[in-house]
Parts: sequence; structure tokens; C-alpha cells
Amino acid sequence: MKKVMMGNHAVSHGAMLSRVDVIAAYPITPQTQVVEELSELCASGRLDARFIKVESEHSAMAACVGASQTGARAFTATSSQGLALMHEVLHWAAGGRLPIVLANINRAMGPGWNIWADQNDSLSQRDTGFMQVYCESNQEVLDWTIMAFKIAETVRVPMMINLDAFFLSHTYEMVDLPDQADVDAFLPKARLTPNLDINDPHAFNALVTPAQFFEIRVHLQQSMEEAKRVIVDVGKEFGEHFGRSYGLTSDYMLDDAKIALVTSGTASGTARVAIRELRKQGVPVGQLKMQAFRPFPTEEVRDKLAGVEKIAVLDRNFSWGAGGIFAQEIKAALYNAERRPQLYGYIAGIGGRDITPETIKEIIRKTEEADRPKADYTWIGVMP
Amino acid sequence: MSERKARPVVFEKLADIPSVTMSLSDTLVNKTGSWRYVQPKYNDKTSPCNETCPAGVNIQGFMRLAAEGKFREAAILYRQEHPFPAITGRVCFHPCESACNRADFDEPLAINAVERRIGDEALHIRTENPNKCKLKEKVAVVGAGPSGLTCAFYLAMFGYKVTAYERNAKAGGVLRYGIPDYRLPQEILDIEIENIEGVGVGFEYKKALGRDFTLEELADSFDAVYLATGVWHSKRMDIPGEDLPGVMSGLEFLHQVNSGNPPKIGPKVAVIGGGNTAMDSCRTALRLGCEPVVVYRRTRAEMPAIDEEIREAEAEEIPFEFLTAPVEVIEKDGRVAAMRCIRMKLGKPDSSGRRRPVPIEGSEFEMPIDTVLTAIGEDPEPEPLGDGLEKEWNKVKADRFGRTSIERVHAGGDLIDQPHTVVDAIGAGKKAAIGIDVLLRASAEGEVYERIRVGEKGSVSTGKYVGLGPDQLHEVVHYGDLNPDYFTPEPRTEMPHLEPAARSSTFEEVNKGLSEEQAIAEAKRCFNCGACIECDNCILFCPDIAVLRSPGGGEGPGKAPFKIDYEYCKGCLVCVHECPRSAMSFEEVGQ
Repeated sequence: MKKVMMGNHAVSHGAMLSRVDVIAAYPITPQTQVVEELSELCASGRLDARFIKVESEHSAMAACVGASQTGARAFTATSSQGLALMHEVLHWAAGGRLPIVLANINRAMGPGWNIWADQNDSLSQRDTGFMQVYCESNQEVLDWTIMAFKIAETVRVPMMINLDAFFLSHTYEMVDLPDQADVDAFLPKARLTPNLDINDPHAFNALVTPAQFFEIRVHLQQSMEEAKRVIVDVGKEFGEHFGRSYGLTSDYMLDDAKIALVTSGTASGTARVAIRELRKQGVPVGQLKMQAFRPFPTEEVRDKLAGVEKIAVLDRNFSWGAGGIFAQEIKAALYNAERRPQLYGYIAGIGGRDITPETIKEIIRKTEEADRPKADYTWIGVMP
Repeated sequence: MSERKARPVVFEKLADIPSVTMSLSDTLVNKTGSWRYVQPKYNDKTSPCNETCPAGVNIQGFMRLAAEGKFREAAILYRQEHPFPAITGRVCFHPCESACNRADFDEPLAINAVERRIGDEALHIRTENPNKCKLKEKVAVVGAGPSGLTCAFYLAMFGYKVTAYERNAKAGGVLRYGIPDYRLPQEILDIEIENIEGVGVGFEYKKALGRDFTLEELADSFDAVYLATGVWHSKRMDIPGEDLPGVMSGLEFLHQVNSGNPPKIGPKVAVIGGGNTAMDSCRTALRLGCEPVVVYRRTRAEMPAIDEEIREAEAEEIPFEFLTAPVEVIEKDGRVAAMRCIRMKLGKPDSSGRRRPVPIEGSEFEMPIDTVLTAIGEDPEPEPLGDGLEKEWNKVKADRFGRTSIERVHAGGDLIDQPHTVVDAIGAGKKAAIGIDVLLRASAEGEVYERIRVGEKGSVSTGKYVGLGPDQLHEVVHYGDLNPDYFTPEPRTEMPHLEPAARSSTFEEVNKGLSEEQAIAEAKRCFNCGACIECDNCILFCPDIAVLRSPGGGEGPGKAPFKIDYEYCKGCLVCVHECPRSAMSFEEVGQ
């Protein structure tokens, strides 16, 4: 069934179709409608889940941890400062191997107080052990919410779905809502073990000495490596069920491109418009869209960028004291590759500033003109 | 060594270790006992009420039983330390309540009221004496008042042949002849005395020391003697008119009333003094249809009477003339007609610490009066107790076990230098009984005292003496030692009273006693300071599951039925901190 809905409601309906058992969330702009809709769905009886009201995001994730530890399917949503407040418990969820799904509305971190889109909130949680994907459209938001449960429960690692503030969260788009029965067939419920179980009692997440802690963390990375394959498989299986396939990355006009533009989030769609126009003008540009950030698709990035001469990375984020975060990660992925194209880092759209087709064209033009990168990063659209 | 067996899990390769952090064995593999440098232990301690009771009654012990509704067991436990709970349950000035730690929390426990309920239960219990007359030695007790009766009771319980000599026709002393029936009905006393006869005490009535026999004669025919004849001689006022008919001592007045021969008095009765005899006299006069007035030379604050007795007299609307002293009793037609008094003011404190009353010149006035009852204190009777009995300030010199300057002669009660209260008299009788046993068994007095003392205030325990406990340290638990987080405020239960308006024509008991439910509720308010009552907090809080129930009983004072598994106790002392009643201690240990 096709419906026009805002990105936040696409999250809510994705969670409902996934038959979550427990929702614990705290409202924050621009995420509020996610929990608003879910609480109404719970109250009306359309969703048979326990909605736990909490007094903070820290408690929201803590409640999800508790619920998930019993084997329940747990979900939460937040944004920006709220995600930062969850930080400690994000480590707990991942370290505890609890397949919680978290929808994060990408919003700049204050101060100055800012409710608009950039990716510094989620990228600050890079090393917590959460998987991270970035969505381009409301349809992707819905689809990835459902897929996230399947992926997370397969590898027992929690997953964060990211969508840009307002560009997706508050923007209405057409979304194809799958039937519940089809989702049930795609995402069956199975009780994960081991978990809290009075018939098989164990203590969970207690003190671990140096004699075992390292090995436990090696297991987490092994699961992250496995997740790269699982994401591809689940994305393919989703396509078989619903006609829309996904993967770790996707590409556009990249096969014969000399310049690859790397994007994530809503800027990806804008970029394709600009790329189409530039191609008409004979500019040999293509696109690599980063869907997954954690696990980082190192192999795909190497493969897909192996044939280009120049790589332009568009980052709607910044690691203060270094550079754009996607750019850093791609450089790192290519460092041990046989061929290392020139990489141009561009920073645009920080704090919700628009990224327009003209922004993209400026980036491609700058990349085309330069023989080699003059700096590790270049600000786009900053006042002189 | 722990009785529990650890099941260690050995990992050899990465795949052995679960990716989910979880226990594969139990915490027994982690022998946290090696971390310990302090260790907790179970140690029952002394409660402040127990220490403060001159008779050394194990109050928290009987409260614990009463809280479970076990009044019979409570009464039996009580009698280990004191033979007559029904009596002190009615007449004690209960210093225990002033020492009660609960006073720092909400209101002190109504110990005296619960004691009375236990006492009323004790009236139905005849004490069994398995040692009855088992020993060859004979002991004479002179004076069957509270002190003599107590001493006789415990000596008989120890196995001695005891003969009690009593000057009056019945036993009880001040309990019978000094305390009015509305406070202590004589039937209660009769039952308690029957119980004492039952354990093997013989009574010789109407036999007075110095009249029918001498101390030397007693000492010749008995192995030991306990003197507890009390003080029955009232102090004189030393004012003109004191010897007129119509002036008598309060003690004599009460003696006559309690003997069933009330003297003709009143209608206007002046009671001189502010002590318990004065209160008993004025309230008795009221019940005989008189109009009593209390004349006291200091103020209410300095009155030595039990506060409750003063409050009852006030409730009965008996007028008080404070800061007033009689200077002359005025005669008319050979009888008392009036009393000239003088007003006083309070000057500098005297040797008692109370401010000395000083007459105000020119403030004399006359008070029309028909009877004067004097109650300004007592002295031992002028007839000699016996040659060679050393005295100090008119009091027989006696040590902590009642030993006097004459070998094998002990003394106690009001004869010796201690407060003139029933419970102090009982305490002295108990100490003398132990003292006589120590003497006749040739035990080491110092060691015995150290073993049986209850805290630091001079009380001793007959239970400890005969090995029945309580098994507790001498250390006294104060409010700061408790963890009051585990207690909830509960109002103190007050005894029902006979309405004051109904009292002027009857000697019916004023205090009506608690119902069973009330007594249980009040006993439950007891903090049981220093005693393990198996609340299980130590088990619940131990983070290492190192506290185990040990049904056979543990070790050391109190024998709490818990055991600490020192292979796992890491010495965090959470158990000690969370013990609500300070029944645990800790000590430093080496590794």
C-alpha cells in the first residue's frame, strides 16, 4: 500500500511492521513524531508493544537493554544531544550483544543550539559497536528499519539507522508500505539465546578479567565482519520479498567514470541530479553512495573506486582537528589498496545548510580543475 | 574451608569463550575471601534498656517473644532476671524507657506497659525449680519486701534452703503496706508470693529482727543472712505541733489503709513532701473522701516522685502548694486545726544538685487543715540491726554483691545506699543472692562479676550467672550504632486509664493494661538493639553470597543462626552496615 508520509512516520511504521515488543524513547526535535506515532499505535492497540516512558535518553537505551536482555525486540529513536546522552549505554548494548534497533535523526550537535541536519551526532558514536546505515529517502527509512532487525538479530549487534533532520524527518514522500504478512514472512520472530531465562540461569555482563575480555571483543569484530555479508544477503532477500534491494553501498554511472563522487544521506539524491546534468556536458562523473558506515565496506569501496582517477568525498560532518569523516575512512580503506586515486575532501551542509545541485556541481568542478588535492578538506559555501 | 565446591571453567581457544558475556559457572570460582583485611562477625550486644534496668531485665529478649505473641515464653525468660513482672509492670519508674534508643527516632518504647502484659501472663505460670533444696546450706532472709523476696527466690532457685522472716502478718513489705491498691492490687502480690513459696522459700511471719531474734543468732544457725528490712521510719519535720493527734507519717497512713484499717482523717488533709509516698498518700486520701492538698517546699520540677504519679495526681485535680513549707501545726480543742506555712524561693543548688528552698520573710500564712500526713523522707529505724554492721550516712555499707562488714551477712534494698525504688530493691536482692552463692561456692568474685555484668551501670544477670544467657557483649548499643533506615515511625501505645472522675470513690486499679494486640504491636516497635532477630538483611545484602543460614546456630555471643563463609567474604562490611540493630561487629585481620 502506497502512502504519503513523513520520514519520522516511516520509522514508526517500520518499527510497527517489525512487531517490536518494547519501545522506550524520549522525545527530542526533530525525532518527536517517531515516538508520538508509536505511542498512538500502542495506545490504539494496533501495535502490541510495551511503551516505556522514560526521563532521559540514557534511560531509554537502558530500558531497551533490559528488554533486549530478556529476548524482547526493542526499539528506540533519538537525535543529536539525545544520542550523545545515550552514549554510555550504546557501548553496553553493543558489548552486551543486544540486537536493539535505534533510529537517529541526524542533527547538528550544539551549541550554538541547532536543530538542523548534519551527521556529527551519529558519527561521534562511531566506535560504540553499533552498526550504522544512512538513508536517502523515506522509503529507505522504512525498508532499513525492517531490515535492521533482521541484520541485528542475525549477528547479535545493535544497529543505528540514520536519516537527515527535516530533509527526511519532516518531509512527506510516497512510501510503499508492505503488508504485515509479508514482513512477518521476511522477519520471523525467534527468541535469541542465550538470554535471561529462569530455566537456564546465568549472570550476564558481569566483571570480566583481562584473561577473557580481549577475546570477547574479538568476537564483536568477527560479528561486524560477518555483518558485511549479512547486510548484502538481507538486502538481496528484501528485494526478493518486496522488489527493492539494498547493499552496503550503491553506485550510479560509476562504471566509466573518471571522477567518483562519494555521498551519504539525502545529498545522494541531489548529487544524482547534478551528475546527470554534468554527464550531458561530458563530465565523466559517477557516484558511490555509502549506505553502511559501520561495518565499513572496505572491500566494496576498494573495488568500486579502483577504476577512477579522482575521488571527491562530500562530508556533511567534520572531525574537529582532522577532516571530513567519510573522507578519512575512505582514505584509510584505500591505503593498502593496489591503486590509490587522488582523494578530494569537501565539507558542505553543516548545521542544516542546503546542499543544492549547484553545491555538487561546484565540488565536481573544483575536483576536475585541480591536478592534485591542495588540502585534506575544502569548505563549500562558507562566507569569504 | 568452604563447604561449597567451586566449578572452574577453563578456556583454551577463542571459540570456547562466548561472545555474549555470561557466567558459565557460579561465583564460587572467585574466592573473594583473599581480598579481606577486615572481617565481620555476629556479636549480640547489650541494649541500653537492659543496661539501665537496675534488675538487669533482658528487655529486648522478652520484647522479641512478645512481638511474636509468645507471652508465656516471654514471662519465663523475664523471670530469669526478676521474679515479679506483674509488680514492676505496675509500679516501676522504668528508667529503661528513658534509655530507650527509640526516643531518638520517634517515641520511646512503652516497655512498662508491655512488661505488665507479660506480668499478667506470669501470674498464670508457677515457676518450676529443678534444684529445690538440693544444697545443704541454709540462708535466712530478713524482711520479705521486694528485695528480700527476690533474694529468697533466686537462692531457692540455686538450691538453697531459704527461710524468710517477716515482721508483718503477710509478705510484700512496701509492695503490700506502702503502695496503694489502685496502683498494685494485693491479690497480684499474693499470687507472686505463692510462686516464691512454690520454689521452696519458707516464711516466718510476725518475726522481727531485734525483737524476736538477733543478727548473731541468725548468723549462728544459718550459713548466710540477707538483711532487707527497708526503711519505715519517717523523717520528722521538727516543727511545733508535730506530735498532735491528726499528724501522722504518710507511710504509717498507707500501712494502715493497706492493712484494711484506714484511720479517720480529714476532711482537709495536707500532705507534706513531693516524693512517691506523698503522691500515694494524697491520692489515697482522695479515695477516702478527703480533700487533700500537697505542700512542697520546692517546685514541680524538683519533685522526686515518678512523673506519671504526679501527672495522675494532677489529673485527679489534687491541688499543689509549691514553694511552701509548714512552720507550725496549730491546735484547737486538742486536735489539728490549721497549719502555718511560709512561702519559699529557690536559692543556690544544694548537695543534691537541686536549688535549695529559702524562706521568704514575712510570707507566713495559715491553712485550715484537719490532718497532716508527712512524707519528707525515711531513715532506717533507730533499733540496731546488729553490732558491728558498719554504716555510712545512716546506710549499711555494702559492696556490689551486698556484702557487709560482717562475714556471711549481706544487705540490700533501702537499707543500703541506693535509690529507694522497687526495681533497685529487686536488683539488690538479685545481686545478694548471687553474692551469697559466690561466697558459699567459694567462686572468684571478680571473675563472676565481669562475666555477669550487664553494661556499665552496675546491673547483673542471673541468666548469665547460671549459664542461660543472654550471650552478649558488654558493649552497649546506642542510637548512632543502629541503621534506622530499616525502621518506620509508629506511635507509642498508651495504656487505657480509669477516668479521673471515677477515681475519688474507688481503689480500683487506675492503669488498665494493654490488650494482647496492643502489647504485640508495641513489642514490635522494639528495635531489639544489639540482638540478631534473623531479619536476613546480612544475607540479602552480601554481594558475595558469603552469608549462609546455619540452622544449628553460629558461634559467639548471640549465636545468630548465620555463618560467614570466609573463603568468599571480602570484608566489604555491607552486612555490618546494613544490620539494623548493630548485632554484628568487625575486626581487622592479617592476610
